[in-house]
Amino acid sequence: MKTIVITGATSGIGLETARLLTLQGFNVLGVGRSKENCVKAEKDILSENPHAKVTFFIGDLMQQREVLHIAREIISYLNENCHGELHALINNAGCVRSWYMTTEEGYEQQFALNHLAGFILTHELLPMIVKAKGRIIMTSSTSHKGIKVHWDDVMLRRGYNPLIAYKQSKLCNVLFAKGLNDRYAATGIRAYAVDPGLVKTDIGNKQTGSLINFIWKLRKYRAVSPAIPAQTFAFLCGRHDAETSPPPPGLYYYLCKEKAYSKQVTSANATRLFALSEQLCGIRYETENVP
Amino acid sequence: MNVMITGAAGGLGRALANECGRRGYNLFLTDINAEGLLSLQRGLERQFGVTVTTKACDLTRAESVDEMLQIIDKHNIKFDMHLNIAGIDFEGGFMERAREKVVGIVALNNAATLRITHAILERRRADRPFTIVFVSSLASMFPMPLKATYAASKRFLLDFATSLRQELKDQNVNVLALCPGGMVTTPEAMQGITAQGIWGSITTNALEVVAYKTLERALAGKGTYVPGLINQVLCFLGRIIPRSWVATVVHWRWKSAQSKWLTNM
Repeated sequence: MKTIVITGATSGIGLETARLLTLQGFNVLGVGRSKENCVKAEKDILSENPHAKVTFFIGDLMQQREVLHIAREIISYLNENCHGELHALINNAGCVRSWYMTTEEGYEQQFALNHLAGFILTHELLPMIVKAKGRIIMTSSTSHKGIKVHWDDVMLRRGYNPLIAYKQSKLCNVLFAKGLNDRYAATGIRAYAVDPGLVKTDIGNKQTGSLINFIWKLRKYRAVSPAIPAQTFAFLCGRHDAETSPPPPGLYYYLCKEKAYSKQVTSANATRLFALSEQLCGIRYETENVP
Repeated sequence: MNVMITGAAGGLGRALANECGRRGYNLFLTDINAEGLLSLQRGLERQFGVTVTTKACDLTRAESVDEMLQIIDKHNIKFDMHLNIAGIDFEGGFMERAREKVVGIVALNNAATLRITHAILERRRADRPFTIVFVSSLASMFPMPLKATYAASKRFLLDFATSLRQELKDQNVNVLALCPGGMVTTPEAMQGITAQGIWGSITTNALEVVAYKTLERALAGKGTYVPGLINQVLCFLGRIIPRSWVATVVHWRWKSAQSKWLTNM
């Protein structure tokens, strides 16, 4: 049975994707921030499909030490139950903020959760993904367009604009996928970024101020159900029973189809982002001696 | 530049530590939260490559402070700046709060702040300018029913900072009192600001801006810093309107805000 890890799996796009993948027969490992939400999500999935294989891991991915802790737990689970193989990692957890807020490390929260958390988790789980010739999928957004990475002030301390911080973090998602493909294509793994479209979720109503709250409530009127983007994630994960389902060839997907992405998504920028993120996380992505 | 920051692992402390790191200052950080300190140290070293030393400490306990001072003295660290960020707040009426919690506000915000400031001033680097920052509050400008102890403790800091500034002026020391409105330092602080509705939003100060300008003003020799135009107007009104009137208005406003907030928690 193929196993898939999904972060932010207790609500919105993550929960819908977890539900769909369990229906398709995958073994799903969800990550959520609170025990309460994890229990609720698990019940939710099992009520519809009593045979669903789903396990939740609890932790706040905003804090790097908790990312590492969850990674260790997942690794031991995979070693015990899945021959150390991970078919797909979906870095989906994300947030919106109205103000400049920092993590324990003093990093801006949208950058830390939307990009760095996935960067660390992928690093930790990479050997198991390589072993399964698996996939890594980032939940990006069409808002990654029309912006450059602010390399000299990536935490946006000077003139913080929450929307710019969000857009930049979503650009980082595509750049990260690009960089992974540049480095590891030869190992048989494949990385993607998904544009979910405008989806009816609560991301803009969690820990945000009244303005963003209000705008997000208005936007939700013309948003689609999270079941729509869940299809794209499932498409990129392939069929669970196929011995070798060849991974789709593109980088950026919307409604199960390749879509054009920002011109800022270059190998040079991806390399730069890797170097910066490695520095900020205290890790190094090996490109030699990868099995 | 060697800088001491208390309460460094909290929202404002982290923002100021980041601002100091960006400027290349070396940091000695303390906080009661040891794990948070270590995370912050890693974050600062990775971002800026500055020298960061940390020691967890309960500033309200003399032994705990002495332990930290021993480390400072063992390495013969001398300081150029001291940022008093550690502080505590409890919402609610005087009689609705546990006795120890009420006393605890004054123990940290005032007594402990004096202790550590005295100790670090003794360890200032010779023949160099020295800068001290106290975090007072917009609340120091008014009598604040339902936040009475907190507001009074912040008033203490404002008055103390103003006096100390005069005392140490000719010794090349500048003392700044920072008087911010609400700041989004924690999810709880954000709930508090949201509960105050429009008043909460317009008196809220951007953390990163306050951190930057606090250092700018303190180094430029300024004495008080009230961030934001609306807060400055409120300060002015607080000075000209009779204090008993202010107390009535504040009481009325906080009563509804706090009931909304505390029931939401």
